Amino acid sequence: MDYEFKDCSDAGSEYCPCHLADSGECILCSQLSGKVFCDCINWKGVCIYNEYTLNANKANKMRESCQCKIIKKELLEDNLVLFTFKVPHKLAGELVYPGSFIFLRNPKTVEYYDTPISIMEADSELNTLKVAIEKRGIKSKTLFKMEEGENISIKAPYWNGILGLKNVYNAKQGTVVVVCRGIGIAPSIPAIKKLHSNGNRIIVILDRNPFNSEFGEEYLKDYGAELYKCSTLNQGSLSEEFKKLLTNILSTESINLIHCDGPDILIYELLNFIDGGIKFSCCNNAKMCCGEGICGTCSTRYKKHVVKRLCKMQVEPKYIFKGRRLI
Amino acid sequence: MKVIVIGGGWSVCSAAISAAKAGAEVEIFEKTDMLLGLGNVGGIMRNNGRYTASQELINLGAGDLINITDEYSRHKNIDFPGHKHAWLYDVNKIEPVVRRHLKEMGIKLNMISRIIDVEKYKDEIIGIFNSQGEFFKGDAFIETTGSTGPMGNCLRYGNGCSMCILRCPAFGPRVSLSSRAGIADLQGERDEDVYGAFSGSCKLCKESIDENIIKELEEKGVVVLKVPEEDVNLDKLKAKVCQQYALKEFAENIVLLDTGHVKLMTSYYPLEKLRKIKGLESVKYIDPYAGGKGNSIRYLSVAPRTDDMRVKGMNNLFCAGEKSGLFVGHTEAIATGAIAGHNSVRNYLGITTLVLPKTTVVGDLIFYANEKMKSKMGRRNRYTFAGAEYFKRMQELGLYSTDDEEIKRRIEKLNLINVLDQKLI
Repeated sequence: MDYEFKDCSDAGSEYCPCHLADSGECILCSQLSGKVFCDCINWKGVCIYNEYTLNANKANKMRESCQCKIIKKELLEDNLVLFTFKVPHKLAGELVYPGSFIFLRNPKTVEYYDTPISIMEADSELNTLKVAIEKRGIKSKTLFKMEEGENISIKAPYWNGILGLKNVYNAKQGTVVVVCRGIGIAPSIPAIKKLHSNGNRIIVILDRNPFNSEFGEEYLKDYGAELYKCSTLNQGSLSEEFKKLLTNILSTESINLIHCDGPDILIYELLNFIDGGIKFSCCNNAKMCCGEGICGTCSTRYKKHVVKRLCKMQVEPKYIFKGRRLI
Repeated sequence: MKVIVIGGGWSVCSAAISAAKAGAEVEIFEKTDMLLGLGNVGGIMRNNGRYTASQELINLGAGDLINITDEYSRHKNIDFPGHKHAWLYDVNKIEPVVRRHLKEMGIKLNMISRIIDVEKYKDEIIGIFNSQGEFFKGDAFIETTGSTGPMGNCLRYGNGCSMCILRCPAFGPRVSLSSRAGIADLQGERDEDVYGAFSGSCKLCKESIDENIIKELEEKGVVVLKVPEEDVNLDKLKAKVCQQYALKEFAENIVLLDTGHVKLMTSYYPLEKLRKIKGLESVKYIDPYAGGKGNSIRYLSVAPRTDDMRVKGMNNLFCAGEKSGLFVGHTEAIATGAIAGHNSVRNYLGITTLVLPKTTVVGDLIFYANEKMKSKMGRRNRYTFAGAEYFKRMQELGLYSTDDEEIKRRIEKLNLINVLDQKLI
């Protein structure tokens, strides 16, 4: 019997209670979402209502942007760039977790240009952040123009870049399969690092498409990952090569987690292919603009008038698509 | 047949015992690491009408827990304002004894297992989910999660979390499962449209109190100290759960009882004022830790039920203790738990469930509290064998007795001797 948990990646942090609590839309607390009695089915360890009351019935301050220097720019391909930023120590420390992401913007542009980008590596010793950006649209093209020595605007920290995050933390002393495609290699690195430190053997199925460079592979070597390169998708379906490879791995190994960093179509097809039975986590591909649950960009709609604000709501991957309303 | 009991207090233990006696396989799911819940800071037994109820339970075949509290009493037959022949069990010794007793009966204990939801089909509960998402199937379910807290409720309807023995911030909040099953909870009130009531006592650290007071307390079981006149507050009595202790004497005096800890018979009392009392100059609270500020709030999630302790609208969900009415006290929890546990098995087997006659105090209390729950004024009262409205009724109906033989004869006459000790499966 399955049970759908909801969690909030901000609950208990210095950004909680947030504006959702202030407007009676808190993801976790019944008393801050229209009810007058406690109904803590999704308790996370703090009483958000208590925090809200002790905070004089106000939301805590939202994240603010800070200006950070670009200390390295590596243009790997025409449409792929790596940036390294020098950031305050506190921020680097807050972004070492799997699923961490930031909003980047050229300070000369307005806030609509805030671009959600996953952390590839956060170093709290050197106080640096490394990100990979694929040139796709207006916002990423603007970021591509930024150069070493310039200041970039960073709004952070955000943590909901992986859905099914608790499955990543709970996978210990086993064998995990990480499937990544394209730019998804970047957010997979902090997840692989955590899985490695939890004593797991790591098998990576890597689909470079649309890139040619070997970006990220040095990390995979560091974490002792067994690497298989194959094309994962063929005209919107899982490729035969990928299905064969995965079937072979699943039949010969005892796998305690499949983690997928790729487009929604890959996650969706992969979930259908494995059809439950194995713990699953994946990157969060929701479109985001404010990251605070306010603007509605990340809101996805489901059966029975359910709205999930995926910029901060943690859900199990199988519930990303189940019952989702597309129109 | 499997009976699942959710909660950990006295009513849980009692329900589990009677279901096990009836022949069911029984599992308890409790969110903290200890059984007895508020019973770990309680201790008062057999005062006033609770004596009659205790003897009834023994004769009905549900005396296991009464025998344990009797055996672990620090003081027997003591009187304090408004109360006669109280027995005080040692709150520091009782929990492991009860736990061993349940284990010896083959009852499975799942500790630190917080149940958050139910799966139902029509009016039957199929199983329950814990906070890890694990699913547990059962044939009958008894909800004894109480009506106290959690901290959001203690905040909205009281003075905030006072860090009581329930330890919600540590083990997570209770969830009303009857409400999750779609049956709306009822609430007790302490004043016009003010929901909930404060728990009625605090515990003080023995070592922080003057040694002469402690000496007297350990000898007699009770010490009464005068409150300075400027600090007497009669208004606070109506906020209290335990109306049997909401007497003028309890506002004008500090009543201390020896339950292992020093039980202070007031909901909360500002530390600075408490330290103005002779002998308490260095006193500190140990339950709730913030007893100077407030206490836990109760009666916010009472399930509507029938007199056989079944939750109305559900076929295989039973309830007991505070979950089943505006009851106060361990004896009341043990009594309602025993009936719920027994009836969960009868109901499964298709046998007529047991509704105790109103000529028994247990049956009458269960009936009377249910009747009173229907009216607004009734929801502002609390129901206990130990005092207030119900004890008065017991006396008026001639149900109150401290004569063991007479109480036994009553149960014999009803042909109910050891009815709760019957193996049904």
